Amino acid sequence: MSMISADECSAIVDTFGRLLTDFHGEPELRKAMASDEGYDKRLWREMGALGLTALLIDPAYGGIGGGAVELGLLMEEAGAYLLCSPFIASSVIAASFVSHSSDENAKQRLLPLIAAGSIATVAITGDAGLWTAESVEVLAEEVDGKTTLSGTASYVLHSTNSEILLVLATGENGVGLYEVNPLDDGIDNSRLAVNDPTLCVGRITFDEVQANEIFGFGAAELNESMDIARIALAAESAGGARKIFDITIDYIANRYQFGRPIGGFQALKHMAADLLIEVENSKSVARNAAEAYADDTTGAAAAISLASFYSTDSFFEVAAKAIQMHGGIAFTMEYVAHLYWRRSRTNLHLFGTSDFYREQYLQALEESV
Amino acid sequence: MNISDQSQSHETLRSEVKQWLNVNWSPAFKNDKPSWFRKVVDAGFAVPTWSKKWFGRELDQETAKIISDEFSRIGAPGSAQDNKHLGAITVYHSGSEQLKSDLLYSMLTGGSACLLYSEPGAGSDLAGLRTKAVVDGDDYVINGQKIWTSAATIATYGMLLARTDWDAPKHKGLSFFILPMKQDGIDIRPIHQINGDSTFNEVFITDARLPAKYVVGELNEGWKVLSQALEHERLVMSQGLTEKKKSRGKDSAQELIALAGRSNNIRDPLVRQRVAQTIAYRQIHRLNMARVKTETSRPNKASLLAIAKLSMSRVQHSEGTLRANILGASGLLDGDLFPDSKDAHYYAAGGYVNSIGGGTDQIQRNIIAERVLGLPRELEVDRSIPFKDVKTGAKRV
Repeated sequence: MSMISADECSAIVDTFGRLLTDFHGEPELRKAMASDEGYDKRLWREMGALGLTALLIDPAYGGIGGGAVELGLLMEEAGAYLLCSPFIASSVIAASFVSHSSDENAKQRLLPLIAAGSIATVAITGDAGLWTAESVEVLAEEVDGKTTLSGTASYVLHSTNSEILLVLATGENGVGLYEVNPLDDGIDNSRLAVNDPTLCVGRITFDEVQANEIFGFGAAELNESMDIARIALAAESAGGARKIFDITIDYIANRYQFGRPIGGFQALKHMAADLLIEVENSKSVARNAAEAYADDTTGAAAAISLASFYSTDSFFEVAAKAIQMHGGIAFTMEYVAHLYWRRSRTNLHLFGTSDFYREQYLQALEESV
Repeated sequence: MNISDQSQSHETLRSEVKQWLNVNWSPAFKNDKPSWFRKVVDAGFAVPTWSKKWFGRELDQETAKIISDEFSRIGAPGSAQDNKHLGAITVYHSGSEQLKSDLLYSMLTGGSACLLYSEPGAGSDLAGLRTKAVVDGDDYVINGQKIWTSAATIATYGMLLARTDWDAPKHKGLSFFILPMKQDGIDIRPIHQINGDSTFNEVFITDARLPAKYVVGELNEGWKVLSQALEHERLVMSQGLTEKKKSRGKDSAQELIALAGRSNNIRDPLVRQRVAQTIAYRQIHRLNMARVKTETSRPNKASLLAIAKLSMSRVQHSEGTLRANILGASGLLDGDLFPDSKDAHYYAAGGYVNSIGGGTDQIQRNIIAERVLGLPRELEVDRSIPFKDVKTGAKRV
């Protein structure tokens, strides 16, 4: 449930849009993605100061009590600017993992820190990258009343930037959520080489690392918490699709060949019309998923699965065709199109493939009979 | 008006409609539609979004839907004609006050209208049409051939686009008329379509007449009137109203799942992927149409409306393809003994009604690119020369 009014929400979205315009244009983006940390530190501080990092957190723990709808609108903006930041890792995933637990101590200790902009992340999946309880490859062992974690977690968002490190691990009672000290000697945390320079992920191995359990978090909470991340990714994809589409239309309307704008040729006009459908479709599915989650409707599971494959597929379709429509200029590193294309390919795989979510979608429809 | 006032007035309207239908409707009217339609029009339920002067109640679309919902709940015809009756809509929006008073009541009380636009030589290039209207006293005399006219045999009126000036460029010499269909000189022949239906006709017009006052809008300004009429038509098509009822229903998803179940391949992962993707297309089309109502900016609304018909083509063609795909070899079969196969073929061919009719998908893409995205217009070599000098149709040397 959101505690933010519609007016407050559009004020937040406007503020974020202005912040991105001022602090996260293409030069700043390129600087951030080439930096050692892999994110824009100045922007992150500003986001913290404006309370954006506190969006999903309950006011009782220092947050502003926003919900999925507000998050989606912010993520559309983020997608348009290829936001290079730990926002999803910390403000979305870590915040909702802790919030979904029933551990009052952990909430009181961790949520205010996350709200204020400490970078938190959750190590979730193993090398299979499936983001489900079955794919967890870290084991929790209890010896003499002390818990230690051993195993491997991969594709951990901003693992090397994390000040708060949460880990999903399988113990005697199934999957649970744990907190470890990111500086523990038993931790080997290294950033992975990736194709999308705006993406920062790492692989962590744990060797008998001391851990504290965050109580009241299991497979059901994992799925619910991941749903909010899926909504964020769908909205980001919708925003990215819209932006690279607009960039492309502007380019073909102003690029002259054969004595006229290339956008006057049907070969490109027809591609553009087809892509407009994808742009609108991705926005519709992303918003529908956010609303269904916020309203907790019976169709929410189907809506989130639908958004999870359709918006990412659309983003890829638009970004891939955008390069083709531009021609040679977009085959250069200097031009921005490939960054959208890379992000779209990231989103196709980050939280599970489109094929996986199509299957989930159909199962949800079958169960609704 | 605040929200609770509004829902209050919605409930008042709903109970008014319910009560009125209770008192007035009887299934016996199915055999006496004119009497029923007169009652509906007189009660203000036929065209509730129109002005009070012309049989309306000046309601917004959302409120008006309460009326059509109540009508369709009990299966009574005659409501929502402000969404469906293209002839009446065109006269209402583009006709003179005189024309409205001459025609609207007759149209709304059962005088249906058919479309006389396309010709064998003027399909996508509609402005290249050659049907001729010539003044003769108080009448126009019409000669030419029209095609793709649905419901021509039952129509009282034809919405006719004809050439009235052959010296003007193609778009500037057309006029929009209302042609009384029940007269000698109009010969209607059904077209045998590839989906097995014969819903469209050819209409041969030989010395047919219409009163000169039945011109809609100004003489030689027919293209403007047509553009408005086409917008309404595309809106109607984008709602999937050209489809069989059962595929439009909320259950088309469940129908496809059931078909895959009957065909014993609902567990095939590849089939499941295709079913999910195809269902998604229709569901997203619905979400887009729902978003039209909530989008506050005009360009956002316009964008969604412009893509609707094109996106419906993908919905229908992919469902047609999927059905055959699910059936495998039995997709070779046809006929009443093989209803699933028969349906599959019917849907596969039926998709073309949407993707060709009312402007092909290709024309639609041009329109989206030019009007929504602001890309340059197509070169038109015939746009500014006298129509009599323009080449049309197939001309081989």
